[in-house]
Amino acid sequence: MIGLLKSMATTMKHALDGKTFTVEYPETAPEVSPRFRGVHKFSQERCIWCRQCENVCPNDTIQIVQDDMRNGEQYNLHIGQCIYCRLCEEVCPVDAILLTQNFEFTADTKNEFVYNKEQLKNVPWYKGIDPLNSRNPDRSAWVGEGDGEIDYQ
Amino acid sequence: MGALALQTEQLLPEQIAELLGLSGVPGEIVGGLIGAFLIANIMLTMTAIAGPWAKRKITAAFTDRIAVNRIGPFGLLIIIPDAVRLLSKELIVPEGVDRPSWDLAPIILPASALLGFAVIPMGDLGPVNIHLADPEAGLAIVFAFASIASVALVMAGYASNNKYSLMGGLRAVAQNIAYEIPLIITALSVVIFAGTLQMSEIVAAQGTALFTIAGVSIPAWYAFVNPFAFVLFLVANMAEIGRNPFDIPEAPTEIVAGYQTEYSSVYFVLFYLGEFIHIFLGGAIMAVVFLGGAAAPIPALEFIPGFVWFVIKIWAFFLFTQWCRSALPRVRIDQLIEIGWKGMLVLSFANLVLTAIIVGVII
Amino acid sequence: MSLEEPLPDTVQEQSADDLEALLGDLVIGREEHINAPGFVIRPDTVQESLRRLRDDAGFDHLSCVTAQEYEDRFESIYHLKKFDDPTQEVSVVVPADKENPVSQSADAVFRTADWHEREAYDLVGIQYEDHPDLRRILLPDTWQGHPLSMDYDQDQPQIVALREHANPLQEDHRSETDSDTMFLNIGPHHPATHGVLHVKATLEGEQIADVESDLGYLHRCEEQLCQNSTYRHQIMPYPDRWDYISAGLLNEWAYARAAEDLNDIEVPEYAQIIRTMGAELCRMAAHFLALGTFALDVYGDFTAIFMYAIRDREEVQNILEDLTGQRLMFNYFRLGGVVWDLPEPRDEFFENIRDYLDELPEHLEEYHDLVTGNEILQLRTIGTGVLPPEVAKSYGATGPVARGSGIDYDLRRDDPYGYYDELDWDVIVEDGCDNYSRLLVRMQEVEQSARIVEQCIDLLEDWPEDERNIQSNVPRTLRPDDDTEIYRAVEGAKGELGIYIRADGTDKPGRFKIRSPCFSNLQTLPEMSNGEYVPDMIAALGSLDIVLGEVDR
Repeated sequence: MIGLLKSMATTMKHALDGKTFTVEYPETAPEVSPRFRGVHKFSQERCIWCRQCENVCPNDTIQIVQDDMRNGEQYNLHIGQCIYCRLCEEVCPVDAILLTQNFEFTADTKNEFVYNKEQLKNVPWYKGIDPLNSRNPDRSAWVGEGDGEIDYQ
Repeated sequence: MGALALQTEQLLPEQIAELLGLSGVPGEIVGGLIGAFLIANIMLTMTAIAGPWAKRKITAAFTDRIAVNRIGPFGLLIIIPDAVRLLSKELIVPEGVDRPSWDLAPIILPASALLGFAVIPMGDLGPVNIHLADPEAGLAIVFAFASIASVALVMAGYASNNKYSLMGGLRAVAQNIAYEIPLIITALSVVIFAGTLQMSEIVAAQGTALFTIAGVSIPAWYAFVNPFAFVLFLVANMAEIGRNPFDIPEAPTEIVAGYQTEYSSVYFVLFYLGEFIHIFLGGAIMAVVFLGGAAAPIPALEFIPGFVWFVIKIWAFFLFTQWCRSALPRVRIDQLIEIGWKGMLVLSFANLVLTAIIVGVII
Repeated sequence: MSLEEPLPDTVQEQSADDLEALLGDLVIGREEHINAPGFVIRPDTVQESLRRLRDDAGFDHLSCVTAQEYEDRFESIYHLKKFDDPTQEVSVVVPADKENPVSQSADAVFRTADWHEREAYDLVGIQYEDHPDLRRILLPDTWQGHPLSMDYDQDQPQIVALREHANPLQEDHRSETDSDTMFLNIGPHHPATHGVLHVKATLEGEQIADVESDLGYLHRCEEQLCQNSTYRHQIMPYPDRWDYISAGLLNEWAYARAAEDLNDIEVPEYAQIIRTMGAELCRMAAHFLALGTFALDVYGDFTAIFMYAIRDREEVQNILEDLTGQRLMFNYFRLGGVVWDLPEPRDEFFENIRDYLDELPEHLEEYHDLVTGNEILQLRTIGTGVLPPEVAKSYGATGPVARGSGIDYDLRRDDPYGYYDELDWDVIVEDGCDNYSRLLVRMQEVEQSARIVEQCIDLLEDWPEDERNIQSNVPRTLRPDDDTEIYRAVEGAKGELGIYIRADGTDKPGRFKIRSPCFSNLQTLPEMSNGEYVPDMIAALGSLDIVLGEVDR
């Protein structure tokens, strides 16, 4: 019986303390970590069309079309199929592809989630913040020097 | 006490008949119908507030959330879209249901609970005494009406042609039988105190002061006179209306939603409605039998109309059911039956005998 | 309650030659797996061999059964361990004929072989003789072909005409005389099955006469996905999706451990501490959810406890989000370390964790008030869903389920990896064997995890700045030698999460097998619930804490 009363007292305490943990989402957008991985942003100016991102992608989300001279023509990315593992950003030698913190995307059909390079370029930053700077310090930690065999192509 | 004596004299139908200038049998019929209509509407309004809004808000408070807050002040207007949503859904009639009883069950459930309010004295609101009928066997009648609900649950469970529903229906019967008896036996102990089954008399019997401490007089409500019976009655009542920890007939995590699994749209609304009215009826019985009916707890607050007190008491009971829901696990069906037959029944008889002895010896 | 018993000295250690002598002429060949000797035996001596290993050598834990097809043969591998000392492992390799792959079932020796062999039959196509019930388990009964066998035709349509196969929706023609029981489908869409599990229950009144789990609704070919991905990068995102209830880092560690041992990759100490910390945070999050959903199953509606548990889990997830960048699908580990150092500013990060850990005891106290101290809950959970230790061992139950049955088995201590053996913490064992014990184990493990995390952040805080090496140098392409085989397990949130990898000389695994703890634990459900009431079955299911993503893979 005491246990029951204790249980009831505990929930009543919560009811009366007035604290809530609901986030009223559209009004107050949540803070996300600078490392948060959202929709990709792609920069054609930086891209050297090395196709490493396409190769590393675990589920063939990235599709690159090149012409005979190996110049890039298309860069398509299915953001609905993507598993947001950030491996493309990780292997990219020139920071041409980057996962923004932007997690807000909608479409009427699945096919509209296939973004081409223009759409990928126009993906807005979440809250206008470019997270690259806060990620950069970490990057050198593993792309840097060290002992042993290095094979970064 | 003068006001109370007046209340018992003139009931709502009589007042309405007087107002309309009718007398005799037509006056009784017209007054009764209008009065019933009014009271049913009051209850439906309360249910409308409780179901879509208050329950969400209360649960949210217990679970540290905010709940509805987009439409209207405190999200109160959610009631309207919710009503539209519930009523405009497709009424799915599964194949193989037993039509007459499948259709009747959702009507019987709220109806039985509403009927119970006929004999409940709800206090006065200004010059109006909200009390439909005051038969001599009032307490027996209200229990009789309230227990019709279990018939509805069985009908729904059986007619749905669904195994979960059937189990829910069977559980409902087992539970109702096991807890109806302790419920009524416990109420009988109050009857021994009051010496009457008439609702207004039971209320009137609680009108005196039990004792006075430092100028604050504690009323002779039976909850204070016999707290043991009060607790017994409270537990049995929770089981009777099927709220946590006794919500076994529904038990969403075990038998999905029991007897209401197959119901949708309007029929579901009726079930939902019936459940809430049933909670309110449970609260009303508690208020009348143990909490002094519509009386104010202390004389200083008597300027607030009795009806308001009555509503407050009903809502307090509703709040209590939600409080239990937030904190108490559901017991298992066999444990429930065991508690009912081996615990509650014995205790309620002990309470009855003790009360009888005390009343016989002392008073 | 919580006590760390020193490993009994009586666990005798046998060399591979001892074991070979024990098996005698049953052995027709030797194989060498990394960290386990392998004995090749004839397919009709499986029971005999396993029984000898179990009874005479003490290998009482059939951890995993792996089936695979080679160019010239089929093969089942029984990975055996000891509950008393899981570092002692042995693999029993059973080749089967290519044309007619028949192999004796191990079900008579280890009950856990039942489902594992069904899975092997389902995916690879090996027929197990003497198996009590050799049916498909993950794929539908009507499926044509065995997807992991070599001659499987990917493009074959899977729509089967009625005349070719029995209709799964056929009318029930069971005899009328047997009408005392009622057949009830619990799931796949049921509020208490935690996903899409279908429990076929036979009821006698309200009591369970028999239950049978029907799996596979969430089968996503995770093993095959990994077989088609490169070791170096592509596999790592997938473990997050096995046990997706915030136990991601623990799963990643399972793959990381197997692949690192396979490729001889050293992990820097600093990275090991970060891994340990992250993994324990994940375990806390997973156990909070387990607590919440168990409460949900027993209490009924979405009650306060569920929300409070979610609130606490949310805090852990915030920390993990700061660390890894994601809330569930972390993809934080890399072979040879982790991808990111702790987030800057580090002080703030440490402070966040400390704040959380400081509040934790109070919150746990609240759970004890709400849940474990509640008499009705005790009434409901004590003595129900009983799983005796011998049965648990036979079914290969691990994790909190085993520890709730009094089996002192925790890979973090018994088969140390990461930084666990440097830290001070206890293995929680409860010997009530019932739903309540399993609940208690999880709640106390949260405390222990908090202890580990606290020690980790102390270490990390004082770590010299120039030695913060988060990843060792790992070649961009990993090609382990052909035919190296490894089976490695870690202590996941639900129990022993093992990975078997066979390298085939390319940069992708030749065979990738996941030993899912939930899969083995779920197998104990009939043992726990037969003869009990429906609500107890639901509670037992909740206390197993299964995640269907990991069961079905």
